[in-house]
Amino acid sequence: MDALNIAREYDTVQYIVIKIGEEQYGIDISYIDNIVRMQSITRVPDVQPYFAGVINIRGEVVPVMSLRLKMGLEPDEYVNKTRIIIVKLENNAPIGLIVDEVKEVVTLDETSIDEVIRDSKVDETYINGIGKNGDTLISLLDLNAVISEKDNS
Amino acid sequence: MDVSQYLGIFLDETNEHLQTLSDQLMILENEPENEDTINEIFRAAHSLKGMAGTMGYKRMQNLTHDMENVFSEVRNGKIKVDGHMVDILFQALDALEEYRENISENQDEGTNDNEPIIKELQAILNGEAGGGDAAPAKESAKKDEAKDAAKEEAAAPAASGDEGKWNDIVLHEPEQHVISEAIKNNSKVFGITVYIQESCILKAARAFLVFKALEEMGEVITSEPSVQDIEDEKFDFDFSLYFVTEAEIDKVKEAVMSVSEIDHVIADVIDMDKAKIASEDDEEEPANAHTEEHTETAAPAAAPPSTSNAPAPAAKDTKGGDNKKNAANKPAVNRTVRVDIEKLDVLMNLVSELIIAKNSLVSFATSENSHSGFNEQIEYLESVTTNLHESVMKVRMVPIESVVNKFPRMIRDLSKKLDKQMELHMSGEETELDRTVVDEIGDPLMHLLRNSADHGLEHIDLRRERGKSDVGQIFLDAYQDGNNVVIEVRDDGNGIDTEAVKRKAIERGTITPEQGETMSEKEIIDLLFLPSFSTAKVVSDVSGRGVGLDVVRSKIGALGGDVSVKTKLGEGSTWTIRLPLTLAIIQALMVVVGGEKYAISLGSIQTIEDVAEEDIKYVEAREVINLRDTVIPIIRLRDILGVETEKPQSSNMVVIIVKKGDQLAGLVVDELIGQQEIVIKSLGKYINCSSRLISGATILGDGEVALILDANVLI
Repeated sequence: MDALNIAREYDTVQYIVIKIGEEQYGIDISYIDNIVRMQSITRVPDVQPYFAGVINIRGEVVPVMSLRLKMGLEPDEYVNKTRIIIVKLENNAPIGLIVDEVKEVVTLDETSIDEVIRDSKVDETYINGIGKNGDTLISLLDLNAVISEKDNS
Repeated sequence: MDVSQYLGIFLDETNEHLQTLSDQLMILENEPENEDTINEIFRAAHSLKGMAGTMGYKRMQNLTHDMENVFSEVRNGKIKVDGHMVDILFQALDALEEYRENISENQDEGTNDNEPIIKELQAILNGEAGGGDAAPAKESAKKDEAKDAAKEEAAAPAASGDEGKWNDIVLHEPEQHVISEAIKNNSKVFGITVYIQESCILKAARAFLVFKALEEMGEVITSEPSVQDIEDEKFDFDFSLYFVTEAEIDKVKEAVMSVSEIDHVIADVIDMDKAKIASEDDEEEPANAHTEEHTETAAPAAAPPSTSNAPAPAAKDTKGGDNKKNAANKPAVNRTVRVDIEKLDVLMNLVSELIIAKNSLVSFATSENSHSGFNEQIEYLESVTTNLHESVMKVRMVPIESVVNKFPRMIRDLSKKLDKQMELHMSGEETELDRTVVDEIGDPLMHLLRNSADHGLEHIDLRRERGKSDVGQIFLDAYQDGNNVVIEVRDDGNGIDTEAVKRKAIERGTITPEQGETMSEKEIIDLLFLPSFSTAKVVSDVSGRGVGLDVVRSKIGALGGDVSVKTKLGEGSTWTIRLPLTLAIIQALMVVVGGEKYAISLGSIQTIEDVAEEDIKYVEAREVINLRDTVIPIIRLRDILGVETEKPQSSNMVVIIVKKGDQLAGLVVDELIGQQEIVIKSLGKYINCSSRLISGATILGDGEVALILDANVLI
């Protein structure tokens, strides 16, 4: 673990910048398997409300999660820019995240990433850092927190 | 010595040899003079002994060695095969089987020396020799006796040696070489045992850090368990290693202790003489009395030599406790499938064809060909993928032989135990099934065979009275039938006495006498499959193991198959198990509910009915229909699945009657699409279907995902 952190200090990390509502989020590019256009999602009954259903990615059945619903925002409105980002954490199965728009890829080094200011009122956060790219701020998504099953809302 | 990588092969081959031994012994029992059989047995016992020795399983080796001795005498014509001897040999086989089980569970053969069996084997050897035959026989028997005595003595120190620490590590040639080189160069060689705190969660990570710290100051020669096992966390809370370094022992200990969550560490300079002896002992034949004596003195002293005595006894104690836990923690061996090389060749060919097909499609996309060419390519691709799929499935298939082979032996034992004469006839052992199914099918089949032997076949008096031959016949036939594999267990025994079953059921309050009056024969037989029923108490008074037919049914059901029985009183019964060829593909009925497509396994569907709305009745506020005198509850899938779209207007409903055991239910769907072969895909662990209604998903021809409904949950 220590060795990993040390290595990171000198590394730059590439993030894919996505938009949800008016906010921009960054997803570590190394976790991204694929980005696909919106396609017909098969609804699965009786599941967590933020799961939109499952889709077919190259013959695999992949669950799709609505980031908006997971974050407690308005339900998605599927438009031309809507994308499903397929992420894969280490050895876990892939999972799809519905986002409003995929904007660009940015490269951030450690110096331009700030710690998250922990709000004592909110005990849970899906963000593990704030990246500064020029004038814009990018909230860096903590994918483990997003995907993990802590809250059964 | 790291032999863990060979463990899988060892277990597979042990299985094969044990099977051969069992088969040949059965033959030998009937034809005691058959030389081929004797030779075959001798060879199998010999290979088994060699393998057990290589893997360091001493007790197994001892036992096989004695068996081999007996066979060797038989082969030389010095001993005659008799019933008693075969019985003992079968006992020895069981003991070997037990060792194998232990090894496959926790990589350790266990502590049972099986002395009684060894003594019996010895007695066979001695007894014949004492009978006063030729001198050589006597001599060899004596020699064996001596060997055995030496072995028994050796067994004890060997066992206590297990409780040592780094002295357990067996040194190979190269490692010995490295150590002696190191000593020549004035480096120090330490044996180190590291104990990790039991509260530690990431043991492998800690162990890794220990290795890293050590490697900075020297070289780790070998470790126990192996580095690979440590990385995979296949160890308890301690591991031992040999370490070559120039640093002082305190520094080494300090370096190890600097890693957090290390409980304590024991390190000492190793004594090459003793280490070497330990390794020789392991490599050589234990029967060699010379080394035995040597070990006897060496083994007790095999604990850490001279310099620091204090930590040694303490370490020994803790290790004893740890050892036991070790056994529980080690994971079982991975399951493997032995694949015929031809099947792999076919796969390779198909993959190459697939690539060719892809390439033609690519070139087609860039050229301006006609439309027909495109279709041609698609068809080609289609045929390749279909074949590819079939071949991959075939790789997963194994013959049921591996399971049914042990049955002749079982029937032989049962025959003795129940004092009934019986014969087992098997056919279709080469029928192939998915590996996962084959692994599970053994127990149910054994239940059914025991059932036939115990309750089916009559006693000899009754058989004579009925004009049947003295020897009861049991048949086990397997064959493929379309997409199913059928396994039949048949006997020419008594058959099921339905009246007796009915009486018992009424007695136990399972059914009322009125119900009993109206029940068909089939319904009564179905009672046998109820969990509360034990056939042992129902059909006959023959005591013994109550055979849980409900377990048979639920196990077969879990494999996607079903079991049925046909019987005729006084003539026998036939149990039929029907299994899908593979679990990954099922035949399903595709239906539409609220615009969404769902698949229902054809296996659970009884019939499909067209029911008018007005035929729905209410019982206890639940919707039911009365179908051919059976009241069936109705489940509206629209409600269950939470469909939001408008319901199509129609006065008639499509109702799919599904069954689970004896229970029926009617599922109301909007529309039927038709039957289809579907490939089952898992939904993965992220999605948490609270009602467990959905057992999986499948991808349809157009790329759309359809969900598979588990009808069993609905009923």
